[in-house]
Amino acid sequence: MSRWVLGEFGAPDRLVAAARALRTRGFRRMDAHSPFPVEEVDAVLDLPPSRLPLIALIAGVGGAVGAYVVQWFTQAVDWPLNVGGRPLHSGPAFIPITFESGVLAAASAIFMGVIGACGLPRVTHPFLRLEAFRSASIDGFWIAIEVEEARRDEVEGALRELGANVVLAVEEVP
Amino acid sequence: MSEPLPLAPVPEDPLVVHPLLEERRTDARLGEALLRPVLTTPGPGWWALVGLCAALTVLLIVAITVTLVTGVGTWGNNIPVAWAFGIINFVWWIGIGHAGTLISAILLLFGMKWRSSVNRMAEAMTLFALTCAALFPLLHLGRPWKFYYLFPYPSSLRMWPQFRSPLTWDVVAVTTYLTVSVLFWYLGMLPDLATARDTARQSWRRRVWGLLSLGWRGSARHWRHWRTGYLLLAGLATPLVVSVHTIVSFDFAVSQLPGWHSTVFPPYFVAGAIFSGLAMVLSLLVPARRALQLHAVVTDAHLDALARLLLVSGLFVAYGYVQEHFFGWYSGDPYEMHAMSILRTGPYAPAFWLVFTCNVLVPQLFWSARLRTMPVVLWCAALLVNVGMWMERFIIIVSPLSEDFLPSSWRHYAPTWVDLSLLSGTLGLFGLGFLLFLRFLPPVPISEVKALQHELAASEAFARAVSAREGGGR
Repeated sequence: MSRWVLGEFGAPDRLVAAARALRTRGFRRMDAHSPFPVEEVDAVLDLPPSRLPLIALIAGVGGAVGAYVVQWFTQAVDWPLNVGGRPLHSGPAFIPITFESGVLAAASAIFMGVIGACGLPRVTHPFLRLEAFRSASIDGFWIAIEVEEARRDEVEGALRELGANVVLAVEEVP
Repeated sequence: MSEPLPLAPVPEDPLVVHPLLEERRTDARLGEALLRPVLTTPGPGWWALVGLCAALTVLLIVAITVTLVTGVGTWGNNIPVAWAFGIINFVWWIGIGHAGTLISAILLLFGMKWRSSVNRMAEAMTLFALTCAALFPLLHLGRPWKFYYLFPYPSSLRMWPQFRSPLTWDVVAVTTYLTVSVLFWYLGMLPDLATARDTARQSWRRRVWGLLSLGWRGSARHWRHWRTGYLLLAGLATPLVVSVHTIVSFDFAVSQLPGWHSTVFPPYFVAGAIFSGLAMVLSLLVPARRALQLHAVVTDAHLDALARLLLVSGLFVAYGYVQEHFFGWYSGDPYEMHAMSILRTGPYAPAFWLVFTCNVLVPQLFWSARLRTMPVVLWCAALLVNVGMWMERFIIIVSPLSEDFLPSSWRHYAPTWVDLSLLSGTLGLFGLGFLLFLRFLPPVPISEVKALQHELAASEAFARAVSAREGGGR
């Protein structure tokens, strides 16, 4: 069972300042929630770079190679068909489909990758049950800290001290 | 940040003529204003337009039914004009789609800030245009229910598609383009669907948008992956735009027909696609801006930028015409010369000169800075360009086919009511899709406009600070 304490800070720069302060106080399991990306907070939270480019590259190259192999196999090996005397293995004619299939595979991998890396779809996340947390997609800048029951009061105190407008606690009901 | 920022005037940037956002609002007010179209009940104007588009869509269904029941013989196609409205409409619609991807992907890669307010509508336009485009090759197959023959699947007939044929390339290109456009559009919309979910008051709306937003919570981790993914998709969509219309042009260019067999076709088609797409963006954006009261976020800066793009792509298209006719003459080939001369003086001359007027002369209006920001002028010019681009596709496809090598096989073309119904029907379907989109999904990217507003505020504060310091030092 996970527990979180959430605090709302009203503006992006206050969110970054609060995150930095919490980090110096030794809190590690933190996340920020905002209606639009706040770049500075990534550095404060020490987020690792996304691995999506690598996934996209692998999927793209795989899709392209797969498409080329399918075209070569069907046209030159499995069912050789002489069309106007053109070579059976006509490389240049296979390029358009190879390129398009590579793009299709890479794009699908990126989309699935973003959804997967974000842990979506999850429409029943405990945060979404909080009425006040609705502001996270409108004008609220939230910090969420994952805590043990014993440290809950300490974290709530820290958030209030840093000037949070709202402090809430939520736990995941299994 | 202990000292308050000095309130010296912001130095004016001579290159910025119109502001990107007309006014500053709080994040909550901004979000509400941008969501107003989907949260309020629609007015009578919307219903009237929906009624009109629905009627045209019914006409489309009738025309499709006639085509399926009786066959492609109900179209005006003949031999030698075996390709006509089916392919004209396909090329025209798919070209319109390209500007959506251009605005959303290429401008994102180039860091153009003005795209934020218009990209969602442009992408929606792309999707509906592609849906309309995809209908035509399918119906043109003759036996559309056997469309799956076009995909390589291991069938007991041991029959594979013919991968050396540009028409098979089309299938892959269009399928890829449609899929990537949908993914790009939906991924870009996730944060705004969450905003809509959290702003809505009725529980059914919350549920629907809650499901569509997949539980987006705007966490720093979400944003990080989202931004990387969105940028990567933009990077992939950019060469895709160019490749798709290049492949469409290969349908013509790899043939032996005079007037089609030309190396200028790929860039010429891509330029025409972007040109017609920008015209369609303007034809939709100008009325939508007025109806939805989006003047604060879709400002004169956006109209100005779109008009400039229209002018530039119009010049590319004009260059394409010059090249086409020059090479027709320079080839010295009597068949090529004939294919070009029937455009200038022959049976297709009225269509050609209409194309020339709409696509070459009309965009020249936008050399004038004043005309670039006049919505009425822009809208009329955009509609004329749409007509011109459709006619251009018509003369490219029909004129070389109808008068090729042997005068004994020449025959001209006239559309039937089924052809005309298919064209107007897809216009209805396109309009219906766009109207429903404006009602049910956030039409302007809310999170991007909020981020833009904060960015502009920060840069203004910085400029003020700098000018205050310089003023104090002197």
